[in-house]
Amino acid sequence: MAAPMELRCWAGDWGLPSVHPESLTVMAYAKFSGAPLTVNTISSSWKAPKGDIPVLISEDKVISQPAKILNFLRKQKYNADYELSAKQGADTLAYIALLEEKLLPALLHTFWIEAENYCNVTKPWFASRIAFPLSLYLPGKMSREALNRIVLTKGGPPLYSLTEVEAQIYRDAKECLNLLSKRLGTSQFFFGDTPTTLDAFVFGFLAPIYKVCFPRVQLQEHLKQLPNLCRFCDDILTCYFRLSVSGHSPAGQDTADANLQKLTQLVNKESNLIEKMDDNLRKSPQHPPRKLTTLKLAAGGEESSPFNRLSP
Amino acid sequence: TLCFQAFLQMCNLPIRVVCRANAEYMSPSGKLPFIHVGNQVVSELGPIVQFVKAKGHSLSDGLDEVQKAEMKAYMELVNNMLLTAELYLQWCDDVTVEEITHPRYGSPYPWPLNRILSYQKQWEVKRKMKAIGWAGKTLEQVLEDVDQCCQALSQRLGTQPYFFNKQPTELDALVFGHLFTILTTQLITDELSEKVKNYSNLTAFCRRIEQQYFEGHDKDSSTIAARSAKKSLLR
Repeated sequence: MAAPMELRCWAGDWGLPSVHPESLTVMAYAKFSGAPLTVNTISSSWKAPKGDIPVLISEDKVISQPAKILNFLRKQKYNADYELSAKQGADTLAYIALLEEKLLPALLHTFWIEAENYCNVTKPWFASRIAFPLSLYLPGKMSREALNRIVLTKGGPPLYSLTEVEAQIYRDAKECLNLLSKRLGTSQFFFGDTPTTLDAFVFGFLAPIYKVCFPRVQLQEHLKQLPNLCRFCDDILTCYFRLSVSGHSPAGQDTADANLQKLTQLVNKESNLIEKMDDNLRKSPQHPPRKLTTLKLAAGGEESSPFNRLSP
Repeated sequence: TLCFQAFLQMCNLPIRVVCRANAEYMSPSGKLPFIHVGNQVVSELGPIVQFVKAKGHSLSDGLDEVQKAEMKAYMELVNNMLLTAELYLQWCDDVTVEEITHPRYGSPYPWPLNRILSYQKQWEVKRKMKAIGWAGKTLEQVLEDVDQCCQALSQRLGTQPYFFNKQPTELDALVFGHLFTILTTQLITDELSEKVKNYSNLTAFCRRIEQQYFEGHDKDSSTIAARSAKKSLLR
């Protein structure tokens, strides 16, 4: 319908299409609404990631934040909220605000500020995806921005030290997860049977917590105690991203399939060849190898020597 | 400030409002307003609600789990959107800052302290805006966000008297506080209050709560309400 749209975002790992919550939100929404997006992950090429990620490039427009990208997609008639009532639309806005206020600080903390997680997992992962020498600078910058955000929004008095702020944001995050679990209940998606914007946002925030393997995982452990939220994430991954729960990426799955096909073809050819060789060997009477024929000629003894050779 | 008064009056607890210049410093969390009960001082909506609940009054007991989740979500929406928009308008919109905020904020202090303090506060607010990504927003975008928020609130309220059934809850108090402030405060432009006035059920909601909880009591509290509406611009 519209011109082809390209989404530049962070790549995926640990069974997720992307490790970055906002990129994941946009990808999920695109899947839900059927928008055709070509996803280009940021790899260590010289095209440095400028500005906010994810970025949607369509014709000559460059749109950068998830809310704006989703608005743009809706204007292009890719609307996942078509069947929602006005009240449900209002609820969506409210729950997204809840996620941003209560869950995002703890998510940022787990990824970028918790020292063990940052040094062992986040920094190497992101550094490997960015070109040198930006890889030395950009992860540090992202970490500082995350800390800044948390301290400025959550860190006023009476919380005077970073540990108190951390304790508070994790308490808020766990409460938020509990609230989401209660709201989801036993239904498949937040508003009935079809996924909507809210499902995209919740998935984008929950899936990294759920899947990425960190050394310090208090939020993940809390999430695993809420089985309906885990089931929600797994469902979306298997249905919309064609990922098995053990996790190969869809592009990976396709190339794996293609490789498998090539491999089977090769194996078939080989087995055909082997069969032919086998047939040839069986059909022809025990022909000696060429060396022996030359020897035979040289030796002059015609039939006797090959038989002599062949006899043990 | 109004949301607290509204909340406390909805709980039928008597209150006395006092305006002080050094109120920010008296508060345990540096944020206004705060309540002073006996020998305890509690500030901010969350702790005040819990404090009142511990004393046996609660407005949200009648809600089930899902509704409580919804209520918390809507309260976050109001905090996220309306509060940030109010802060933005007070401190990041140059015209408003020059003409209204600086004089008001610095008014209890002599020169040069008034200028220094208000510049300091402005710098703080701008830093916070930058951290949450609002620094790049223009005034039109902020007004659009406020409009979206009001639309959501209006749709949620619908034709009901309060947001959840027939009983007022913390959410009603919070929404009333913000909307009333927006509607009654004099700014350079009326765009913000115009946005709210577009939604007639929201203005009717504010009027109803004002009549029920503020004018019903003695005349004093309504003048105090008006004065604290102006003072809350300094928040």
